Amino acid sequence: MNAPLQMANLRGGYGDADVLFDVSIDLGDREIVVIVGPNGAGKSTAMKAIFGLLKVRDGSIVFDGQDITGWSPDRVVQAGISYVPQVSNIFSEMTVHENLEMGAFLRKGNFSSAYERVYQLFPDLKNKRKAIAGSLSGGQRQMVAMGRALMLQPRVLLLDEPTAGLSPKYMEQIFQISRDVRDTGVSILLVEQHAKQALAFADRGYVLAAGRNRFEGKGSELLADRAMAEMFLGG
Amino acid sequence: MLDFINFYVVPGIVTGSIYAFAAIGITLVFSIMRHAHLAHGDMATMGAYIALAASTMLGLPVYFALLLAIPLTAALAVGTDKLFYEHLRKKPKILTTMSTLGTALMLRSIVQVVWGVGTTSYAKGITRPNDWFGLKIKTNELITLLALAVVVLGLAAFLNRTRWGKAMRAMSDNRDLALLCGIDNARVITLTWLIVGGLCAISGFFLGINTEIKSMMGWNIILPAFAGAILGGIGRIEGALVGGLMIGLVEELSVLFIPTEYKAVSAFAILLLVLLVRPRGLFNGKII
Ligand SMILES: Nc1ncnc2c1ncn2[C@@H]1O[C@H](COP(=O)(O)OP(=O)(O)O)[C@@H](O)[C@H]1O
Ligand SMILES: [Mg+2]
Repeated sequence: MNAPLQMANLRGGYGDADVLFDVSIDLGDREIVVIVGPNGAGKSTAMKAIFGLLKVRDGSIVFDGQDITGWSPDRVVQAGISYVPQVSNIFSEMTVHENLEMGAFLRKGNFSSAYERVYQLFPDLKNKRKAIAGSLSGGQRQMVAMGRALMLQPRVLLLDEPTAGLSPKYMEQIFQISRDVRDTGVSILLVEQHAKQALAFADRGYVLAAGRNRFEGKGSELLADRAMAEMFLGG
Repeated sequence: MLDFINFYVVPGIVTGSIYAFAAIGITLVFSIMRHAHLAHGDMATMGAYIALAASTMLGLPVYFALLLAIPLTAALAVGTDKLFYEHLRKKPKILTTMSTLGTALMLRSIVQVVWGVGTTSYAKGITRPNDWFGLKIKTNELITLLALAVVVLGLAAFLNRTRWGKAMRAMSDNRDLALLCGIDNARVITLTWLIVGGLCAISGFFLGINTEIKSMMGWNIILPAFAGAILGGIGRIEGALVGGLMIGLVEELSVLFIPTEYKAVSAFAILLLVLLVRPRGLFNGKII
């Protein structure tokens, strides 16, 4: 399998203490992979590691055959990975359209087709392009955040809890859009609190706990695994 | 009525314009670098003296001298950043703020060593105000107001319409996300200092041309300039404009109620009041 992104045996943390002890995650071509696990397990931290926002003390991150461990965020973006953080993931004082424009900051030349694609994926945003992003509803803000991340046409999209705090209707919508995005050739790695729904929707899943891999497999397998379900999905 | 306008409102708006130039710079530093710039006044003094030197040594008309002082002071601002602030970027911001105080003292000393502590001016003699149907306003005052309009409109156009202007707003809005978009923070910071240095030269020059040139001139406006920035809402350019103008007006009008020697106190009073009652200022600025 051609895996654009491979994290192998990562160990590291923010200061001197480790948060990740041994985390390995593979993301295949055009795959949707979900990371679930209890709060504080290190799910967000694993994503930040990809973006060089962490001291990685051991292990490696390989993207498209290239070792990107410890690269600065702008190099990682340039290489083709976009990231939507869990919080503060929009420019709240700028318009929707300006948010997208900032997403394309590294792109030279004409990128009107990139706007077109994003507005096609998120029709809701098209009428709101002049609105200040911070004034939108939670679901729409999440769409702005995802749209911004898609402006560079990345090969890999990282989404950290894209449905947190959203109504079930918006959650379904975000999942559906993620599938649409995947169908345009993007591999998606996402962190989810809504473990059951996310495992059902993703191709594969990883369960992280206390900074280590605990389970991995097809979404349906994980959902069927009794031990795992009891421990992490509340039975 | 006209007397009231001529004696209080016109000088108030002119003084306010000078404060506004300075307050806009202060607010820009805060919104991008997140620290106070206590060298702002002395950098303005420096700009005023550079313009003076350009006009006396090269024999340039004063307004051409200003055009030369703007890029030179901008370069000076970038230089102080590279020398004194860059290595503190990841440290608590209070260190940088203290460091700007050091820069302030240093710049003032340089001015005093090179140009002395005396008082001078760009042009000798007294200029008579123009009289339009009783409205008395000097040519320099008119140019000051015009320059403020040009600077504010130019800055707004830059921030709202250009790629790097938007990058500045993005970094002010959400620094980490700007980084994730590949916006080079270091370049935005250099750009900001260029603009701030230019604004310092402009505020120092107009302070000099409307009053007099001396080594303490910039330090003397640091309080009203900060008061203007905070009154408007820190990080808000339109706020700094309105706040600066208001502080200037209130200072001039305050002499109707309190002795002239105390008019500087009114800026301080407004500053205290804003911090107590509405710390985000008129335009809902960032919390300080
Ligand atoms: N910026 C940070 N600095 C220091 N420790 C952090 C930081 N962010 C998270 N942590 C710690 O790292 C651990 C994992 O956090 P996180 O990756 O956010 O968990 P999750 O996303 O799985 O809920 C937690 O113990 C948290 O307190
Ligand atoms: Mg998290």
